[in-house]
Amino acid sequence: MIQQIDYFVIAPPLVLALAAGLVLLLDAFLPARPRTRGVLGLVTLAGVLVSLGFVVAQAAGGGTPRSTFCVPPSLADPATVQCSFVADRFTLVFAGMVLVAAVVVVLLSMAELAGGGIPVGEWYFLLLCTFVGAVTLPASRDLIMLVVALELVSLPVFALTALKRYDGRSSEAAVKLFVVSVVSTAVMLFGVSLLYGIAGTVFLSRLGAVFSGQVQAPGVALVQGELPAVGTVGVVLVVAGFAFKIAAVPFHSWAADVYQGAPVPVAALLSVISKAAGFAGLILVLVAALSGQAATWVPIIAVLAALTMTAGNLLALRQRSAVRLLAWSSVAQSGYILAPLAVTVTADGATAIGASMAYLVIYAAMNLGAFAVVMLVSKTTTRNELDDYRGLVFRRPAAGLALAFCLICLAGLPPGLAGLFAKVFVFRELVEGGSGWLALVMAVNTVIGLYYYAVWTARLFASAPEPGPVPEPAPRRTSPATLPAIGIAVAVAVLFSVAPQLVLDVTALSAFG
Amino acid sequence: MDGYFGSYVLVAALLAIGVAIVAGALLANRLLRPSRPTPDKLTTYECGVDPVGDGWAQSQVRYYVFTYLYVVFAVDAVFLFPWATVFDAPGYGLTTLVEMFVFLGFIALGIVYAWRKRVLTWT
Repeated sequence: MIQQIDYFVIAPPLVLALAAGLVLLLDAFLPARPRTRGVLGLVTLAGVLVSLGFVVAQAAGGGTPRSTFCVPPSLADPATVQCSFVADRFTLVFAGMVLVAAVVVVLLSMAELAGGGIPVGEWYFLLLCTFVGAVTLPASRDLIMLVVALELVSLPVFALTALKRYDGRSSEAAVKLFVVSVVSTAVMLFGVSLLYGIAGTVFLSRLGAVFSGQVQAPGVALVQGELPAVGTVGVVLVVAGFAFKIAAVPFHSWAADVYQGAPVPVAALLSVISKAAGFAGLILVLVAALSGQAATWVPIIAVLAALTMTAGNLLALRQRSAVRLLAWSSVAQSGYILAPLAVTVTADGATAIGASMAYLVIYAAMNLGAFAVVMLVSKTTTRNELDDYRGLVFRRPAAGLALAFCLICLAGLPPGLAGLFAKVFVFRELVEGGSGWLALVMAVNTVIGLYYYAVWTARLFASAPEPGPVPEPAPRRTSPATLPAIGIAVAVAVLFSVAPQLVLDVTALSAFG
Repeated sequence: MDGYFGSYVLVAALLAIGVAIVAGALLANRLLRPSRPTPDKLTTYECGVDPVGDGWAQSQVRYYVFTYLYVVFAVDAVFLFPWATVFDAPGYGLTTLVEMFVFLGFIALGIVYAWRKRVLTWT
């Protein structure tokens, strides 16, 4: 009766969870001295790296998906394999991406926490909890696990946003994020309960079999493969719940305020790790569980994608604050990532998902690079507006050039080939999949996006500002941790620019087992 | 009236009867009683004691920590009770016993943390 647990398969989240407990204990028992901050940061970093090591080991161990927490054969219907935790290529790509992004976020946190004023133990504990959720989520293959993992990604982020205490903007951001996230969870849970009510199972594989008509549904009979109306409601509610998490239109309004109010590392976390988790969940539910009902959700996703990229780009045009601009740009990028899902028809959609994942991986690298430089600049300026970046290339050549490269990548212009290739992958899928209109919308949006990325990049190379009433700000205590963070993100972006085939090879084959 | 929503007619009828009883009692009361208010009669009735302060009294915010600690134990209990009924049944065994103590260890981490952060001392 006892399930056999394959500890090697669950090692990545397990290591992170143990590291979280360790950080909490160390924080409680070590003396509160400035050196302790560094120690906790290094323990966190070590935990993330060990976890990444396990992911690499699993990837090196061969292509066969490994699963655990399965329903014992004596209890299961032999028609479908029902496992809660599966480590296949999809899982490993997402987990690897999240953990590399986690390294950058931890490095940025070290710089953020060096200033004091934020409780260090709590910060790293919450950060590790988020990573546990983000690594578990792509491996989840049942609805309950999926919801729990998604909540594990979301809940600590409210607290992380609010940890900068006595800061009005930060508290406001935390409350907004909390309310939006709780509402989206409620909406999604309602949808999940409807899906469960129809199919009588929480396992995605079994849901997939029921909704494609291979297995008789215990609840409601499908009439010629058509869902009853209540099933459509369930699908829409689940999609809406995930749309909140990835800040897709019409659930995007929280993005700018929250990114601006949160500490910069948390904004980076939200825009990359939290978003990746949302997309992982969305892809899993749509493709693994609901591929039989593609006719219901493909139009919804297509419209969502078009609206999201347009609204994000138009709102980004008017921003003067660097973080707000990045927030709206990341909303627009969400639209590009969503677009290939709209041409995924039936179970044969593995390549289109590959385009989404390739875009997400490349987006993660270039966006983290941009956030790392913003973090560096935010230490020397108070407002962090675009004008503060004037002449950055001459003041700090490395940081300035890194930011310029990341922005050009995000825009998709030639020196930053990674971004260009990412867009080409998506365009190809859209055109081949027969969604010409969506490709057209995306092309127009790419042009709109060029404007604000170009304006920002141009400021970097503009002549340095004349010494006004406030000359060069004195406190230049740049933490040494920011530079490796920029280095990692930009190195990955450059690598993808030189050899984009790497991303394609990894993501294209990542069909589910 | 039969079918899925038909079964809710009973609920609606019950609701209507409930509203009618309460409203009827209050209405009968108003029609029958003499009305001679004095300031004393108009004060809020609070267990026979004179009311103190106004309705928006605040409760001490520091109690939230104890609420959290209570939640820790409540979550414990939710998992402990079903476990206690099966852990010595055939098919389960030492593994099941140990697993629960691993879980308890994780939960205890929260208590240890609260203790080290001086939450448990009352000042």
